[in-house]
Amino acid sequence: MKKTIGRVFTYIFLLAVLAFAVLPLMYTIFASFKTNMEILTDPGSMFPKKFTFDNYITAWNSENFRVGPMVLNSTIYTLFNVVVTVLTASMAGYVFARGNFRGKKLVFGCFLSLMFIQVGGISIYAVFDVLNLVNLTSSLFSLMIVKMFGVQTMQLYLVKGYVETLPKELDEAAEIDGCSFFKIYYKIIMPLLLPILATVAMLSFQGSWNEYLMPTIFTVSQPSQQTLIVGLMALKSSSGAATQWNLMLAGSVIALFPVLVAYAFGNRFFISGLSAGAVKG
Amino acid sequence: MSINKQSKGGIRSKQIQEERACYLMLATQIIGFLALSAYPIIWTFRWAFFNYNGVESKAVYVGLENFIRMFTTDFTYWKVWGNTLLLALCKLPLELPLAMIIALLLSQKKLFGSNFFRTMYYLPNIISVAVVGLIFSNMFSIWGYVNNVLMDIGIIAKEINWFATKAGAMAVIVISSTWSSFGVNVMYFMAALTNVPEELYECARLDGASQWTVFWKITLPMIVSVFKIILLMSIVGTLGTNESILALTNGGPFGETYTVMSYLTGKFVPGFADVASPNLGYGCAMSIITTILFAFIAVGYNWLNKKMQD
Repeated sequence: MKKTIGRVFTYIFLLAVLAFAVLPLMYTIFASFKTNMEILTDPGSMFPKKFTFDNYITAWNSENFRVGPMVLNSTIYTLFNVVVTVLTASMAGYVFARGNFRGKKLVFGCFLSLMFIQVGGISIYAVFDVLNLVNLTSSLFSLMIVKMFGVQTMQLYLVKGYVETLPKELDEAAEIDGCSFFKIYYKIIMPLLLPILATVAMLSFQGSWNEYLMPTIFTVSQPSQQTLIVGLMALKSSSGAATQWNLMLAGSVIALFPVLVAYAFGNRFFISGLSAGAVKG
Repeated sequence: MSINKQSKGGIRSKQIQEERACYLMLATQIIGFLALSAYPIIWTFRWAFFNYNGVESKAVYVGLENFIRMFTTDFTYWKVWGNTLLLALCKLPLELPLAMIIALLLSQKKLFGSNFFRTMYYLPNIISVAVVGLIFSNMFSIWGYVNNVLMDIGIIAKEINWFATKAGAMAVIVISSTWSSFGVNVMYFMAALTNVPEELYECARLDGASQWTVFWKITLPMIVSVFKIILLMSIVGTLGTNESILALTNGGPFGETYTVMSYLTGKFVPGFADVASPNLGYGCAMSIITTILFAFIAVGYNWLNKKMQD
């Protein structure tokens, strides 16, 4: 009896927290189907009185909030980052787990230090200096180049930990068969890394699609290259923002959609990435 | 003899080959580290001693003046540190116990739907800070959902203009950032709780210990080391709050809700800065002091921990 009452209270509490967790999302999704009039004058109800797709149509045709090109920019940026991160993180993870080379400790220490030593946003001017040297001006493309050369410390860690769990005999057998160090990586190790690379890809997908700071900095002078997130925030800080909640809400839902779908199908990848992060901490 | 020599040479050349392969595979990242991470740090240290607004020919060496200015005349920087600490003091005592209670409840044996709740609680964390900012500015706007609901159920008589006062804006920041990150801590606490051996609970139950005693005498001591890590990560994470402030309040009203990191971004970073050519030298000085203070906090936290253990 006492146990049943305990369970009831447990569920009441858990459901209350559940409401707290999903209510803002539900509200946003439902509000994006309200008319702009209803959003502005009657925000107190959760469900739309009149269900309409108008906001999405308006957003699609809008001159100052060009959803189509922005979604395209976001997609290109995200896919590029996913591919690059999977490649560099898997190679670096393999090299640090299995490679023998002079300076290994030093290089690893340097990469690791990036997690602790950061001077913040102002150093972006120095990054622009470097880009100028190779004749790149600030654009989404330049940012992709920066990302390509970036060190993904956490992803590197995930892969390194995973490679270390694979039996060393695999490498040795391949080595006896005459495989070079690189060949062992892409013939033997890489295929075995698929589960962890799925996690890396998922985290990188979510991170890049959601990224706000860097894409904003790099597209200041190139509004046509804005990603969806950047465009949304630009609209929020524009002067007419108060009357354009319909566009912002529809845009938010479009921005939410890919991430929610990814989470629905691959939440175990997100969670396995998280626990690896905790072990590292 | 000669065969022996040859194979030795073979091993050495193999070693050299492997080294070359390693460095080639790391090439982009080593270049990136030097050019895009190490150089910017050196750059920041250099310009901290100049008055510099982006035009190198006009830069003036000022020695320690930038540092002296932030410690003696310009107190904005310390005010935003105050906001940052206030945010941490409001958020952590709310979020961590909440996450701990949820984790304890979800870790009960044979709880139906435990996995579902866990997954849903983590959901807000995967959403872009920008979208979180939009959602909460909409819901808490003066004619928005929250005010309407609060008035309907009679908690408030008149709309609250949340973003017009420091207290109101801070409250929204605390709520929204708790919303997005509590699920992570639930995950961490649950991971910690699975490491507590079941036998300990059984022994305690046999001895007739109450739930309360079990929590204080067994659960808490068993997870205390993980708890310290979670606490440190939460402290560093909260003090480093940056983009979510920019997306939600952009420091408003009147810069009252800037945290250190968002202040530095909002004053000096292109695309966010409100002045066309800010004094980057001064910004560099503030960035350096900020980095050092962060390091101090982490080190100080560890030192305090050790002290308390002794």
